[in-house]
Parts: sequence; structure tokens; C-alpha cells
Amino acid sequence: MRHMAEHHSLIATLGPWFKLLGRRRTRLAVGAALMGLTLLSAIGLLALSGWFITATGLTGLLLAAGVAVSLEVYVPGGGIRLFAVSRTLSRYLERLYNHDTVLRLLADLRARLFAALSGLDGHALSRRRASDWLNRLTADIDTLDSLYLRLLAPAVVGLLALLGLAAFLALWSPTVGLASGAWLLLGWLWVTLGQARLGMAASRRQVDDLEALRARLIEQLQGLAELEAYGGLAEHRRRLATIEARLYRDQRRLGALVALGNALAGLFVGGGALLALWLAAGAWEAGRLSGPLMVMMPLAMLAMSEALAALPAAFTWLGATRGAAERLNALEARSREPVAADARTAPPPGPLSVALSAVTLRYPGALTPALSELSFTLAPGERLALCGASGAGKSSVAGLLLRQLLPDAGRITLGGQALGDWPEAALRERVTALTQRSDLFDDSLAANLRLAAPEAGDGELWQALAWVELDGWADSLPAGLATRVGEGGRQLSGGQARRLALARLWLRDPDLVLLDEPFAGLDAETVAALAPRLDAWLTGRSVIYLVHQLGVGPFDPPGVERQLTLVEGRLREA
Amino acid sequence: MPLDQKAAGRTPRRLLTSLAAGERRRLGLAVLAGSVAALLIIAQMALLAWLVSRLLVAGDELASLAAPFLALAGIQLLKGVALYAQETLAQAASRDIRARLRAELLDHLAALGPVRLASRHSASLANQLVEQVEVLDGYFSRFVPQLRLAVLSPLLILCLVAWLDWLAALFLLLAAPLIPLFMALVGMGAERLNRDQFAAVARLSGHFIDRVRGITTLQLFGRRAAATEEVQAAADDYRRRSMRTLRVAFLSSAVLEFFSAVAIAVVAIYVGFGLLGYITYGPSPELTLFTGLLVLLLAPEFFQPLRTLSQHYHDRAAALGAAEGLVGLLEETPDPVRRQAADSPVGESLVELEGASVTYPGRGRVLGPLSLCLAPGEVLVVTGPSGAGKSTLLQLLAGFVGPGSGRRRLAPGIGLAWMDQRPLLVQGSLAENLRLACPEASRAQMHRALVRAGLGELLAALPEGLDATLSERGVGLSGGQAQRLALARVFLSQAPLVLLDEPTASLDADSEACLVEVLAELAGEGRTLVIATHHPALMALGTRRLVLEAGQAEEGDHAPHG
Repeated sequence: MRHMAEHHSLIATLGPWFKLLGRRRTRLAVGAALMGLTLLSAIGLLALSGWFITATGLTGLLLAAGVAVSLEVYVPGGGIRLFAVSRTLSRYLERLYNHDTVLRLLADLRARLFAALSGLDGHALSRRRASDWLNRLTADIDTLDSLYLRLLAPAVVGLLALLGLAAFLALWSPTVGLASGAWLLLGWLWVTLGQARLGMAASRRQVDDLEALRARLIEQLQGLAELEAYGGLAEHRRRLATIEARLYRDQRRLGALVALGNALAGLFVGGGALLALWLAAGAWEAGRLSGPLMVMMPLAMLAMSEALAALPAAFTWLGATRGAAERLNALEARSREPVAADARTAPPPGPLSVALSAVTLRYPGALTPALSELSFTLAPGERLALCGASGAGKSSVAGLLLRQLLPDAGRITLGGQALGDWPEAALRERVTALTQRSDLFDDSLAANLRLAAPEAGDGELWQALAWVELDGWADSLPAGLATRVGEGGRQLSGGQARRLALARLWLRDPDLVLLDEPFAGLDAETVAALAPRLDAWLTGRSVIYLVHQLGVGPFDPPGVERQLTLVEGRLREA
Repeated sequence: MPLDQKAAGRTPRRLLTSLAAGERRRLGLAVLAGSVAALLIIAQMALLAWLVSRLLVAGDELASLAAPFLALAGIQLLKGVALYAQETLAQAASRDIRARLRAELLDHLAALGPVRLASRHSASLANQLVEQVEVLDGYFSRFVPQLRLAVLSPLLILCLVAWLDWLAALFLLLAAPLIPLFMALVGMGAERLNRDQFAAVARLSGHFIDRVRGITTLQLFGRRAAATEEVQAAADDYRRRSMRTLRVAFLSSAVLEFFSAVAIAVVAIYVGFGLLGYITYGPSPELTLFTGLLVLLLAPEFFQPLRTLSQHYHDRAAALGAAEGLVGLLEETPDPVRRQAADSPVGESLVELEGASVTYPGRGRVLGPLSLCLAPGEVLVVTGPSGAGKSTLLQLLAGFVGPGSGRRRLAPGIGLAWMDQRPLLVQGSLAENLRLACPEASRAQMHRALVRAGLGELLAALPEGLDATLSERGVGLSGGQAQRLALARVFLSQAPLVLLDEPTASLDADSEACLVEVLAELAGEGRTLVIATHHPALMALGTRRLVLEAGQAEEGDHAPHG
């Protein structure tokens, strides 16, 4: 993928994000205008002051020599005061306004990316790790935020300002205008394109290295028990140190580049002032320019330092923005839109039948197919146990029926209707699963339960807890339903988490239920209490149990009518 | 001295100061280079004003001034070199400070141990060690040197201007002392708001990783749209918080802008009127075009270091916010009991608990008091309803938690093997994952361990064998396979004490039978096993059994049934 990305031009990579910026065109234009106004005031203040002092100085000399001259002082004086105030005001407004714009863009971006993530299929989800995602969702988007405020706007405003200044100077002296304009343009090209080119590779790597560091750290934090027990911490620290060394090496390179860019930006501005003074003095000697205007020119050039100052650092780091955009693009390209609701394809009500015919599923890069030509049916209301060792393909069947995976070949129908045609909302409402890993969110007990039934009242939640015999425990907690369960439910024991997931199931009213080892991690006593309740609740629904095997006594799920066994992605012949 | 030992009574400010002290030399050199640059800027401006004066007042020909023009170019070149040196020196200091801090934090986390960290969001912690340490960069590489320069450089300029025209210097001086005052007022507010914002960022990242980790569940419950809205709402909340901070933070720079702009305007008008002869007070009659122009050119430079400082003020506020979180982490003192070297047991036993109990804040006592002796070769099965304290007992035996009361004794120099319901998989090859348990294991040993853990078939199917990479190319392991990999690590390690928390949670009967066999083998090697489990086959393996109920041993040591 990295290799392919090399072929994508910078413009093509950033294109979708420019388009996104385009949606807030007006806000961006206003922000840029405020930026321009600030710059204009700064240049105006220094240039006009220089003109004024020289004019008064020369007039003063003439007056002292007894020559009767007069100088209008109130208009330039007023202009100086006006620039002083407008520089302050526009700077403050510009910064506030533009930051608000950027944060608005960020909120949009976060939501857009999360929507894209939630459209990823099972393959994509299982191959990415949560720590990568966190980075995608926060750091990448934060990096992209520099696109407008740090890159686009200052560069464009700076370019317009230097062209405007050159044109203004050319009004008085075309030579000075052209020469200093060309010189500054050269400087602008260096601090933008030049710096970007030199810093591209290293700044592109920074994001990757920070991501690698973060991923390794999360590994260490989550696996600390094993690392500590085995004394493997030192070895893991060495892995971190390798990444850190790479990170700092690139930072040194980038830092030196930024320092070089800043020094050069200063040189371009200072040199521009010198050039303007030399040429303007020549024009003055030739009588084509007045003394005050001659002084105004280098001073206006000096004020241009504000236009170039921020550019070297921003553009040296362009690679970071590019890398982030590349990864977000790749992610979005994999996302699927949900199947929209469609009245014509509304499936019939009641328990659902299931039919798989010659279904083959292959994971990318896997040596053998996960499922080969699998066919079986489930009658409405039937309870089927799909048995098999871990890796036999049970989870793949569940993934297919839940439309988290798409088959490479074969046909799947639910309620007599092709699975692919089911509207997303209807599918989620009528098919519910208890997955092998019960996901709990770092939120309250209530919020975790309401995931299954957003409208449920507290009474209903207590009923659900009572159903899995957690009501006594929840009642004993000081915060009750508002108790937070911790990251991934870590504040709960494994059994409590499992029961909470079961309670979540009870809050729904599905027509097809997939249960992956419903009693995993529970003790015999709890299972004895829960099994009859589950049996009653499952009545009138189609059920597929995914279990390692039947015949483990009380741990067998209730009411199994038929059993199929999967071995390496195929049904074992009866 | 390690940071965590000095952490008592530590404030974010003190943390930053002590970090900066470690790089005093390089930061000092950066300030020196910055001061040289400031002197060169003064020289540049003086030469510029002098050239204008020679041309306009003295009537020198342009051609005769080529040498000073060249000198001016030379000064600018030197200034560039000085600024480059200032920046790169400060960057180097910042890099070393961050590297050192990160190492200290990692040591501290290791000292806190797995149980204390379990209640923290690992993404938030990782965020602190990665992003929040990076956030300190701006403070050390920009703010700290600039703080000194913001005093030195205006002082130099002020002296020069006072010598040229004390009245103009007075205008600058009048504006200058107000600036630190305003900035302090504004800065204090910004600091507090910044802290809030950091909390919001941490919450936001926690919210994200949580929702993302459970994205499958959200899909299954048809909550895609709702969760996306939630994410948008969280981001919007973050925007509102940020804007509150920024509204105040930008005020400080606006105050500076205002004073600097007004001072330039006042100086320009004063000099102009003075040159016209309208002001007859004080030094004004002596003003010339040279001194007037130089004073004007120096006026913006007088404020420039302060403006730069105010731009970096955000760095300081951000660093203090980050440091606050880091101090909070460093202040969490590791359990002293856990870090003490355990006493040796009196008798032959490998590990002993004597009236030991474990108490968690907010949850009360979760285990004990409990007494237990484990002799080499024993297999202790721990059972009990979920939440009874089985995992805590294992954590106590492993030393991840210290006994709140009572004693834990451990035979000297013994190694541990650990396996729980969430096995650790590191990104890398199978071999790397195995070497976590035994760095010097040979390939043959690793191969054997995998086969014993029931991963032989998988290994045979992988063309790269032990070098196959996990979590790439679709070779990611299933839950059961991950569990078995963790088991393979147990086999590979030579640890005499093996602690297993629900080892069969996701294994089928065949694998379980195989596991029971190998565990029996391990016990036969003289290893001591402690197994928390519900499964009858594993229970049967026990030479002893402990039933826990609400943290108490309900039945003491006795032989297993049947």
C-alpha cells in the first residue's frame, strides 16, 4: 500500500480534503481576508511611519535653513493611528475566527471518519488494532487541521501580500517593485515548496513513528501482567527505544530544516529591504523618487517578515499532513455505505429461516479458505448448534449472517430473501448476536444496557439485570445503574461482563439470535439459574448456537434440536 | 534521582523547572546565540538608518556607499547563523529532556504494576507518554530560551534608544512594564482553561478508542448513526471548550499587539513632530533623521521578542497542562509492599500467604484475610463464583498487588509464568511473541512449545513458520489461538510457579484435554500450578482445591472430589 501511495501525487492525496474545506468557502475567505487585513496594517504602519519621519526630517532641515515650506501632518498621523488600531483588532478577530473554523472542520472530520470506520467490514476491522484507530481518529485529523490554518491560508495570504506590495512599489518605481517582488517571490517559493520538499520524507515518517510508539506502549500497558511475570519488560523497552531513536533522529533533521528556513526567511526579508533601498536610492538620485518614498520602500519590505515568518515550520512538516491524508483516504476507500431501507424488500415478520448454499469465504492472504462450499438451512423457530474447534469457521458463519463479512462465492438468504438486499436497519433490528467477546463501553451500566434498547426506562434495565441475576450486585453499588464499568468492562469480572452482555440481549426482540458460547466464563450455579430463562426467552425465535461442542452437561445451551459440526470450514459428514 | 521519588509535593511548574535544569548548559548557549542575534539586529537597523541619513542628509553618492551596503548584507548573514544556532541548540535540549522524561515515566509505570494500571485507560496513558511528552517540546525549545531573550533584548534596545533620545525611550518604557502585568493576568486564566482542555482531550481520546474498539457491537445493534452523532457531539464539546480557552489565550497576544502598535505610532508621531521642530522640550531639538529613523526602526524590534514570547505562551500553558497530568501520574506512589522484596518462606514451600488481604479503594476488601502454603509440585485449583476474588488471589501470588495486611512470602529467585483471559500479543513474529517469556529460547524449543500448546498444525501451515508476522497479512490469531500462544509461553518459560487465570476460557474439549495433559506434565516436572477455573477437567487436575466466596476461603485445603 505504501508503495502504491508513492504514485499518488500530493494534490491527489489532499484533493478530497480541499473539497471538504471548500464546503466552508465563505468562512475560509473571511478568515483569509482578516489575515490579509492584519498584514496590510502591519506593513502600512511601518511604511507610513518611515515615510512620515523622513518627510518631517527633510522638511525640518529646510525650515531650519530658513526655507518656507509646510507639511500636512494630520492625514499621515491619522493613518498611523488607524493602522495601529486595525492591526490589533484584526489580529485578534482573525485568530479567534479562524480557530473556530478549524475546530468546526475538526468536528466534521471526526464524525466523517467515524462513520467511515463503522462501515468497515469484518476483515478490515479484525486486521486493525484499536490503538491504530485511536491515532487515525485523533492524531491524523489533528494533523490535517493544519491544512487550512497553518498551510493554505498563510501561504496564499503571504503570496498575495508580496504581489500586492510589489505592485504598490511599482506604482512609484517599477524597478524597485519588480526586483523586490521577484526576490520575495523567490523567498516565498523556498519557504513553501523548497522546505516542503526537503522535509517531506522525514515529516511523513513522524506520524508513523509516533503511531508505532503508541501501539507499542498500549501493548506494554495492556500486557504488563505477562511482561512483568516473565521479566520481558526490558526487552519490550528496547523495542520502544528503537522507535524513539528513529523519532528523535527525524526530529533533529526537521528541526535543523526549520531553523534553516527561518534564518533564510529573515535573510530574504532583510536582503529584500537592502535591495529595495539600493534601487530606490538609485531612483532618488535620478530624481524619479522623493526621499520619503525612498525610505518607505525598505521599511515596507522589512514589515513583510510577518508574512513569511510562520511558513518554513509549517511547510517543512507538510509530509505529516500528507501521510495523515493518505491513511485516511485508504480507510475511507474501504468503507461501505449501509443498505438503505426499501419498502419492496421488507422481509416477512416472524422467526426467520436461514439458508446457506455453497458459501465460500476466504480471508485476504490466508492459506486456505475459512469456509468452503458450506450449505445448510435453518427452519423458522428452529434451534441449531453449530459445533467446532476454535478456527473451524463458526465465527466466519456468524460474520456472514450478520453481514460483517461478504462471501466470495455462494448465496445466503434470511427469511427467504437474499441477505444482501436486507435494509441495514431491518437486519439489525431482527438479527441479534452475542459475540465471543462481549464489548462493553467505558460508560455507565445503564448506557451499556441502553445500547440494545435506547428507549428503555430504568425499570426495564433493572428487569434485564434481574434476568441475569445481577440486580442484587448492581443494587449494592453506591452509584447503582450509573456505575462506570471501565475500559472494556475491566472493572467487572469476566462473568459479570458476560451476564451484562446477556442482559443486553434480553432487551431486544429479535427473530434470529446467534449465540457464541452463551455461558462462557460463568460458574455452574449461574448457568443453572440462567439456562431455563434463556430457553423461555428464545421460544418463538430462530436460534443458532456457536459452541465448541455439546455434551458438557449444564453448560450445554438449552433446547438444541439439531447439531452440525464444522471442521476446517466444511461440515463434517454425519 | 528518579522523578517518582521526588514527586511528593511536586507541582507542574516545579516538574518543568527541574527538567529544564538538566539542560542548563545548552539552553544557556541558545540564549547566548539569541543575544548575539539581537545585537546584530541593532547593528543592522543602525546601519540602515545611517545609510538613509548619508544619502538624504549628507548627500553622499550611492556608488560611494557600496561598502556599507555590503557590510549590511554581511551582518544579515551573521544574524541568520546566530538564529540558526539558537534554534538548533534549544531543540537538542528539548529532545534530550523529553527522552529522559519518557524513560522515567516508563520506569514509574512498571513500578505501579499491572493491577494499578488496570483501572486506567491504556489509550489515555499511552497518550500521556506519547503526545503529552511531545507537547513539552514547544516549552523547552521555544518558550524557555525566549523568556530570557524577552528580557535581554528589549533591555539592550532600551539602553540604545535612551542614549539616542530619552523621551522616546520613556514611551517604550511606559508601555513595556504593563505588558508583563497584562500577560500574567491573562496567562493565569489561560492556564486554568488549558488544564480543562487537556482533561477534555484525554476524555475525547478515551471516548474514541472505546467506541472504536466496540465498533462491531455498535454495528450489530444498528447504532452506527447514533454512535457517529455521539462522536460529533463529543468533538463539538471539545470545540466549545477550546474556544473558551482560546478566547482568553489570544487576549494576551492582543494586548501585546496593541501596545506594540501604539508605541510605534506614538514614537513615529513624536519623532515626526520633533523633527519639524514642533516639540521644544527635552532632547527633541537634537533629533536628526538618523536618530529619528533608528528609534522608529528599533521600536518594533523592542516588542518583537515579547510578541514571540506571547506566541510561545501557548506552549507554556500547554506544557503546564501536560505536566499536570504527568505529575498526577508520577504522584501515584507505587504500592510499597509490592515493591519490597518478599521474605523467604520458613519451610520448604514456594510461596506463602499469611493472613493476607487485598483492599481496593472504592470496592473495599476483595480478598482475604487468607493463609496459604504452596509446596513445589502442588497443583492448586481455585474455584468460586465470578467476582469472588479468584483473579485477585492470583495477582497477589504474582506480586502484582501487595497484601494490604498480612504477609506474602516467596522463595528467593523464583520465576513466574502468567496467563490470563486477555493474552498479550505483540506486533511481530510468532518467535518474538514467544521470546517474551524466554529471550534465549532456541527455535527448536519454541517449536516444541507451540506444538505442546496445540498450535502445531497452525505452525505447519505457515510458510514462514516461527517468523510469520502477527496482525499483518491476515495471519492474525483467533481468540483461542491467542490463548494457546500464551500457553506456549508458559511451557517455554522455566518458571517454577505457574499462575493460570481461566486458561480454558476459549478452548474446545480436544484442546482442553490436551491442555490438561500438558499441565499435568508441567506439574510432573515439579512446577507448582495455581489454576483459577470452573471447568471440571481442570479441577480434576488439582492436588488441592480452594473455594472462594466473596474473597474468603469457604472451604480450606482438601483433596478434590473423585
